[in-house]
Amino acid sequence: MLAPATGLLAVFIFVPMLLTLWLSLQSWSTQTGFDTARFIGVQNFIDIFSNSSIGRDFKAALVNTLIYTVLSVVLILPLSVAFGLLVHQKLAPGGIVLRTILFSTYMVPMIAVALVFSKLYSPTEGPINQVLGWIGIPAQTWLSAPQTALGSIVLLNVWQQVGYFTVLAVAGLTQIPDSLYEAARIDGANPVQRFWSITLPLLGNTLLFSAVIAIINSVQVFEPVALITQGGPVNATNVLTYHIRRVGIERAQGGLGSAMAVTLMLVLIVSITALFAFARAREARRA
Amino acid sequence: MTALADSRPLERPHRPLTPAAALLTLLIIAIAVVAAFPLAWMVLTSLKTPQETMQVPPVWLPASPNFDAYVKVADVVSIGRSFFNSAVIALVTTAAILVTSLMAGYAFAKYQFRHRELLFALLISTMFLPPIVTLIPLYRIVGYLGLTGSLAGVIVPNLANAFGIFLMRQFIKGVPDELIEAARVDGASEFHVLFGIVAPAVLPAIAALTLFAFVYHWNSYLWPLTVLQGNAEQYPIVISLSRLLSYNRGAMNTGLVMAGATLAVLPPVVLFVILQRFFVDSVIASGVKG
Repeated sequence: MLAPATGLLAVFIFVPMLLTLWLSLQSWSTQTGFDTARFIGVQNFIDIFSNSSIGRDFKAALVNTLIYTVLSVVLILPLSVAFGLLVHQKLAPGGIVLRTILFSTYMVPMIAVALVFSKLYSPTEGPINQVLGWIGIPAQTWLSAPQTALGSIVLLNVWQQVGYFTVLAVAGLTQIPDSLYEAARIDGANPVQRFWSITLPLLGNTLLFSAVIAIINSVQVFEPVALITQGGPVNATNVLTYHIRRVGIERAQGGLGSAMAVTLMLVLIVSITALFAFARAREARRA
Repeated sequence: MTALADSRPLERPHRPLTPAAALLTLLIIAIAVVAAFPLAWMVLTSLKTPQETMQVPPVWLPASPNFDAYVKVADVVSIGRSFFNSAVIALVTTAAILVTSLMAGYAFAKYQFRHRELLFALLISTMFLPPIVTLIPLYRIVGYLGLTGSLAGVIVPNLANAFGIFLMRQFIKGVPDELIEAARVDGASEFHVLFGIVAPAVLPAIAALTLFAFVYHWNSYLWPLTVLQGNAEQYPIVISLSRLLSYNRGAMNTGLVMAGATLAVLPPVVLFVILQRFFVDSVIASGVKG
């Protein structure tokens, strides 16, 4: 019963994972067999953090990915809670329709999202600048200027993903017993106080899970960059998934690419561990 | 587990709106409009004439909606072939994931064996691994297997999936042991127990996993792009589409791009709208029970 799944995951995930670790210490061209790899110690890691062009490009991609991830999480989590409350509430109609619309965007292929937004963002022919103009906001450069390109990709990512996190938030909200709200209401707490003292604390685990998933999804951003910006303008949208593929596959520098992948993995493990430690510390302080 | 079904009662009709409720309704409508806008714009623009797509300021509604852009897309990329490739990738992968996930989920839910929890945790941890981390060696491994440039190369590494195993274990745990024991006493083989007794009892999970796997692999871009290596014959629709953006050096191609995007969006979104109940239930199961 276990053999097919275990075997497949072993060959296509665990073995490649170990190979990535091993290759990160080798000089190796992706175009040749693994037997041509030559051990060079931590030289790849020295190179990707050096001041050469290899190092500068990688560090820029790392920073871009960090900014992209932080912005995505910071926008997605509060929106998912706000939208979750709107879906969950029973005062006004339309919650389920809202959930359906929000969640359906999560089904749209990222490549189609990228195509559509590349036209929506068009500074002259795009409707977004037109609508902004109606309310007196000047036209934005969106994907065409280094200052705004990465943020524009964050926004299209938020648009695509927020429905999924809204459903997670709704799931968390349904777990909160109504009796708690009743008790608070009897104590005279207004809706805002009830939100801060009951809803948000009890959503803690949901938000932690959402944050982890949002971080892991964010480092995978690839399609809008590959399709629209190719990492530009001036490296502003060069993110890790795009950069690692470019180095490791297109330029066939498998050792360097693997060292970058290992670094990404380490950064992820450290960030997520820190997130859990932070959540546990908060929990302890509350108790 | 199946008790997780949508617990919301039907919305009450004809209830007088209080000011607060009216305000909330407006807010819901505003958010829904913003959320739906990009897809609505996509469909509308795909029906415009090329001149309308180029106007400044943009026109919102096509004066005389037409399907010219869709016809043109078929000239630029081989749409039929791409749809076929996408369907093969998504359907074969989904079928295999269902079988491997049911089997492993059944073992983890109902069998006792040494290091069960450790092995389960190890497999589930791969759910959190970004694909880029294993992309480079995986590309080489598929090369060793002689599958580079083929649909098989796209499909074979994805025949098992940690999320599927996790989902199936969660749901199969809820199937009563007596049901399984009774079938075993009657002399049913383990495969018969799994596919004849257990699988029918977890149909909602099977529906959810079918849709998740189908949508994920229909939409998937990074791996097919890497493994197909420019073999355009084998391109799924999402890769064929990416070529529309550079068509005619980017000039006068907006309608084309939107028509192509609409075509690619249809299968996953239609599937979702029909079966969204199961998606929502399983997202809730994976979040709350995880």
